[in-house]
Amino acid sequence: MAKGYNDPAMETRFQDRYYHSADNPEFTKEVERISRTIAHMCFQCGTCTGSCPSAPRSSYRIRKFVRRAVMGLEREALTDPDLWLCTTCYSCTDRCPRGIAPTDIIMAMRNLAFKWDIIPRNFLKTVQLIYTTGHGVPNNDVNRAARVKLGLEAEPETTHKYPEYIPGIQKIIDHYKMKENADRILAEGEH
Amino acid sequence: MAEEKKQPRIGVFVCHCGTNIAGSIDVKAVQEYARTLPGVIVADDYQYMCSTPGQTKIDNAIKENDLTGVVVAACSPRLHEPTFRTATKEGGLNPFRFEMANIREQDAWVHMHDNAGATAKAKDAIRIAVAKAALLEDLYPKSVPVEHAAMVVGAGVGGIQAALDLANAGIKTYLIDKLPTVGGRMSQLDKTFPTLDCSQCILTPKMVDVGRHPNIDLRTYTEVEAVEGYIGNFDITLRKKARGVLTPTEATEKGIVGGGCNGCGDCDAVCPVIKPNPFELGMKPRKAIYIYHPQVTPLIYTVDFDSCIKCGLCVEACGEKKAIDLDMADAFETVKVGTVILATGYDIFPIEKKREWGYKQFDNVITSLEFERLICASGPTGGHLIRPSDGQTPKKVAFVLCAGSRDNTGVGKPYCSRFCCMYSLKHAHQMMEKIPGCQPYIFYMDIRSFGKQYEEFYYRIQDEGAKFIRGRVANILEDAKTKDLHVYAEDTLLGQPVDLTVDLVVLAAAIEPTQGIDPVRKMFGVSCSQDGWMLEAHPKLNPCGTTTAGVFLAGVCQGPKDIPDTVAQAEGAASAASIPIHMGKVELEPYFAQCIEEKCAGCGMCVNLCPYSALALVEKDGKQVMQVTEAKCKGCGTCGGFCPGGAIYMQHFTTPQIVAQIDAFLLGGEE
Repeated sequence: MAKGYNDPAMETRFQDRYYHSADNPEFTKEVERISRTIAHMCFQCGTCTGSCPSAPRSSYRIRKFVRRAVMGLEREALTDPDLWLCTTCYSCTDRCPRGIAPTDIIMAMRNLAFKWDIIPRNFLKTVQLIYTTGHGVPNNDVNRAARVKLGLEAEPETTHKYPEYIPGIQKIIDHYKMKENADRILAEGEH
Repeated sequence: MAEEKKQPRIGVFVCHCGTNIAGSIDVKAVQEYARTLPGVIVADDYQYMCSTPGQTKIDNAIKENDLTGVVVAACSPRLHEPTFRTATKEGGLNPFRFEMANIREQDAWVHMHDNAGATAKAKDAIRIAVAKAALLEDLYPKSVPVEHAAMVVGAGVGGIQAALDLANAGIKTYLIDKLPTVGGRMSQLDKTFPTLDCSQCILTPKMVDVGRHPNIDLRTYTEVEAVEGYIGNFDITLRKKARGVLTPTEATEKGIVGGGCNGCGDCDAVCPVIKPNPFELGMKPRKAIYIYHPQVTPLIYTVDFDSCIKCGLCVEACGEKKAIDLDMADAFETVKVGTVILATGYDIFPIEKKREWGYKQFDNVITSLEFERLICASGPTGGHLIRPSDGQTPKKVAFVLCAGSRDNTGVGKPYCSRFCCMYSLKHAHQMMEKIPGCQPYIFYMDIRSFGKQYEEFYYRIQDEGAKFIRGRVANILEDAKTKDLHVYAEDTLLGQPVDLTVDLVVLAAAIEPTQGIDPVRKMFGVSCSQDGWMLEAHPKLNPCGTTTAGVFLAGVCQGPKDIPDTVAQAEGAASAASIPIHMGKVELEPYFAQCIEEKCAGCGMCVNLCPYSALALVEKDGKQVMQVTEAKCKGCGTCGGFCPGGAIYMQHFTTPQIVAQIDAFLLGGEE
């Protein structure tokens, strides 16, 4: 799902901006259940966004996602492409004065978004790569040469060296239907 | 205690407490049930038993039915036991013939959604109370005389005010402080919000007053060593720390005519030892013989024996006054007082623990207290605000509010430190006043300007040009070359990350209880709340008292407070502490242990067990028996529970009374 700001018609700029009530009152509880953190204790100080390496480079505002979690604004949170800009560095979790783990709130929302088939293509391709190679970022020739130059074996002590373990990984991924869904969503996106 | 044995005749009164009790308990059913209990002559109920008509019901019932005991089923005895005891007394009974059953806090409120269960529990509670009421005896409170003197521990503005009030009320008052001077934190401040009057200027008159008040015995450089006794009769041992310098009075006592320290400072000039000055937070040097700050009371020099090399130059310089004694040792004295006020203040939270703000890593990150000294005309820079790294005048300054306050991470304090918002506004004003073209930035979560004229002060500082950024500072980094600081936060009102480059950062650090105060607190038997501050008897209705009778609290030691609140609480504490002294005696609840001498074997085991040192073995009629000092006994029952011979009788909690209560609970009940 590409992030796009293609200048829409003026009508959309002037559409109703009120939020009237939570579109899913259970959303806060659901996020807290998955993330195991106290999202409802947020007092909106902005320490998270101030700590965020993504915020100065994008429109991603983690504080706003926590706010949406608290107010039950499920659709607004899960359909916002910014949800996928967290680098999971955990700086916000380190510094939050309320002891909340905002990173885990984002991870919980990504889980929920995936149930709606909302997930960027690069994440799905990562699933496919892990499925086929055991790695999100597989080894490549440049790396192999660098490793050899450093006196290491070309392949690391992972599925690259022991491909016989790949079927085990595939079994786990199949159990959660991740590959199946990734293939399906990517194929649908082709049309 | 000797009384005619009469069949118990008990009256039971069930309170509705509006809907507090009646909302979850069937009061009528409970009242009907009470009527069936053995010994109960009359059972009644009322909307509010504590009201005048409610009390009159008790009064009349005693007279009409010749009752021997009264049971009220209502709230916690902490609230209304005194009320109903008085009503019992009005009816002509001994007030200790009253027993309370708590069916509100321990029943109605905790079983709000279980009517049947709550009603059954109320019946149990009343049955148990009736069983005890049948065995209650007449008791007579003991009164003990109160020493006509008080002590105030800590001589900051709170302690000073409390001591002045007590002294002006004609009470001899010992005012002690661990430092060589009175004044406390307030003497370190430059100006005070919102009036901007100079802190020292309004404090020094009071400092002078405590120094020369005939009723105040001022003991500086003195600490509490030990506390014994109880309300009215505290024996407090003071450690007078060796200050190495004689006052004129002490010199005269030693036969040195016209000698003693006159504060001339000749010693200071010759002392070769240079150490950081703690009053200036290490930003100025201090000699090993020093005065704490220029306006000390009393004006007496002090030797810092931790750094003194005993070269003797000061002794020479002092000459004929012979004020300096480098061999002085700590001295101890025990004084007797009736009541005590603790006013032990606060320390700054070590904000370097919050690594992300760089205090003690970066030169130009300072605390607000350091800012106070730097902006103060009598401070280390003569009132010129400078950047510690290069001595330049800062133009852009960031103030970081809630630095370590409102922080639930475990590193920091969960509470609001309450005065940081206001002094940071004041700091912004002070720098705008002194530095033309400067720009203060205040990073805040909420501006808490709750006091009188405080919101108006906020308005004024905003009007003067301070910029407010609503966002808690996430991180501070230093430019290694310029020593400028990058302040990272989110401007939450714009939803935009901020990277602000400033010359100086001022952290409004959280406050915490004075370091090392816990032993003192424990000596006086005062508890602390979860956050470490001393615990008041009741947060709303008894904010100056503690659970130790005769010990009161003033100022920040009880929780963060600004100067007006501290002074107000100090006056409250002084008033409360003066009451027992003016009454001349206090009544103690007669819950004393009593020794049944015929049964006592004189083993003495109880003497060591007693946590209040209230027991002793004495010789009586040729044998050793235990004796109770009633005024010291708190009726805890430790001795009574232990005594192998059953020779200790706990008044109002006798073994037969407690057994009757247990029996009533186990054997009784409707089904």
